[in-house]
Amino acid sequence: METVFIIFVLITIAGLAAYGLQIWAIRKKLQERRTGEEERERGLSQGASPASFSLPVPFPGISILKPLKGIDDNLFDNLASICMQDYPMYEIIFGLQDYNDPAYKVAKKIKEKYPEKDITIIVERCNAGLNPKINNLVPSYNVSKYEAILISDSNVLVGRNYLQEIVKHLQDPGVGLVSNLIQGTGGRTLGSVFENLHLNSFIMGSVCFLDRFLKMPCVVGKSMLMRKRDLEAVGGFPAVKDVLAEDYLIGKKIKETGKKVVLSHYMVRNVNHYWGIRKFLNRHIRWGKLRWRIGGFRYFSELIGNPVFLSSIPMFLWGPSKITASLLVASSCIKIMGDLYIGRIIRAPMRSLLYFLSPVKDMIIGIIWFVPILSNTVVWRGNRYIIGKDSFLLPCKETGWSWTYRLTDAIKARFA
Amino acid sequence: MLLCDFHIHTKYSDGSVELRRAVDLFGQAGFDVIAITDHVVNGDSSFGKLAHRFRFTVNENNFDDYMAHVRQEAERAYDKYGMLIIPGVEISKNYISSDKSAHILILDIKEFIPACWSYEKIFREAKGQDALVIACHPHHTSEMTIRETLFLWNNRDKYAKYIDAWEIANRDDVFNVISLKKYPYIANSDFHRTRHLYSWKTLLNCEKKVESVKQCIRHNKGVAITLFRN
Repeated sequence: METVFIIFVLITIAGLAAYGLQIWAIRKKLQERRTGEEERERGLSQGASPASFSLPVPFPGISILKPLKGIDDNLFDNLASICMQDYPMYEIIFGLQDYNDPAYKVAKKIKEKYPEKDITIIVERCNAGLNPKINNLVPSYNVSKYEAILISDSNVLVGRNYLQEIVKHLQDPGVGLVSNLIQGTGGRTLGSVFENLHLNSFIMGSVCFLDRFLKMPCVVGKSMLMRKRDLEAVGGFPAVKDVLAEDYLIGKKIKETGKKVVLSHYMVRNVNHYWGIRKFLNRHIRWGKLRWRIGGFRYFSELIGNPVFLSSIPMFLWGPSKITASLLVASSCIKIMGDLYIGRIIRAPMRSLLYFLSPVKDMIIGIIWFVPILSNTVVWRGNRYIIGKDSFLLPCKETGWSWTYRLTDAIKARFA
Repeated sequence: MLLCDFHIHTKYSDGSVELRRAVDLFGQAGFDVIAITDHVVNGDSSFGKLAHRFRFTVNENNFDDYMAHVRQEAERAYDKYGMLIIPGVEISKNYISSDKSAHILILDIKEFIPACWSYEKIFREAKGQDALVIACHPHHTSEMTIRETLFLWNNRDKYAKYIDAWEIANRDDVFNVISLKKYPYIANSDFHRTRHLYSWKTLLNCEKKVESVKQCIRHNKGVAITLFRN
């Protein structure tokens, strides 16, 4: 028992060390922001106007593609924030599949509220592929008029200098794609508190860690800026129309062409106010399946990144005792302090007390970590799919015996 | 068409969402017209006394604060979301017997109306204030947790003349008897929790002004109902 326990202690320490490296990577990324802000302030003190300072000359026009589906928390403000950019030349295209979508009314209200802005609402049912987001984006892309396109999810809230900050990276012709850090904010229900804790610790830490130490592009599709020619060079949207992780794959393909994929230090906010636990579980089971399909055995390294869950295993194996409980309590305390520290440095508007829920969230994430290994179907925006290698989707028939279809389709997908 | 919900509760009575947050929730979802209608509960029954004891009711003492807060939010909502807010209350006459109980929405209320008054007096006072009178969830509902309020339906011959519209749908329930009787109708969420945002709503074909909305409901032309889902 002692040897196994010591192994668990060592793995937990390794997990905490990896978590420490994630925090360090976040700090380093945020230091870039501070340098940028200092440069901006220096420029302003020398008489440059806020809009003109730091803009590339000539500045590229940007087509912002906003795929809409249903009412996200804070939708009106999210859409309004993109209309208030300190940037001279951009258009916004709200894309919907259906006039009956409740987001259509919000998009119309935004268009009425900002008549001076170049806003287009496209309602077109497109069945290009199985990925509903790509189906939504294709009609918007077809009418977009600028060379630079920004795919910005509807649940994203941005500041006025968002475009200014991210477009700077496109000055370098070697940059093919710019993505952003994501900060979870809001949280009036337990599900949304868990979601925000997870976005601000695990997701942000992993993205920064991969970017800094492994130089791997980890593109999260909530904000992706690129040139049309770079996207088309990798096959455009048709190349990812049947893929669940279209964001990751676009980033990967662009990197393979020799272009850089840049993680901007600019933080976009993902507002989650009223998430239920089920929604939280669904999203992270889906994302877990996606990472399992893409990363393969690298997915197992994620467990090491969850020291709270690892340190709880001895307690389940040998029952609660002083020593097993001490390990769990110690790792939980370190995790709470770490998450609190990240929250402080990213200026997350979350009450300190809520960080005590972080170990609970980690336990849940540890449990659902196993689901992707056991199941390969995913429900996304009301449709069920089978996920294949690299997150390629296959339709899943839904009948009373749907599990048999899922099983046979999964076997077929494996051997395809 | 204006997307409307005329039956919303906040923490002023038994709702779980504060007034400002409730307004933001509807504003962010693109609504055009809403009415804030917290309960005014009768104090002459054991149920009513409990509601007063636990402050699940607007009363004569806090009515002015309630109205001022609603008006303040109405201004903010119109500036930010272009959403019209109508102040209102839900007069709640709660008794042990559901046949004796009734809930009545008073929309565009100006002065406090006590729930312990007689029905005639309440209706006359509402008319005197040029407010709209709506009969809420007038028939059997499917929700086990909701106490039924059947008094107005059971006494419709006597009271229908005072009622401007009846709720033909409330949250997840549809009352076909309103349709069969050809009474004027609207549909509401009876919003108490955030999940109730997704429920039956009213669509009005009129101008986004309080008077136009009231006229549209009274004349019951250009009124439709829709099940608002995400």
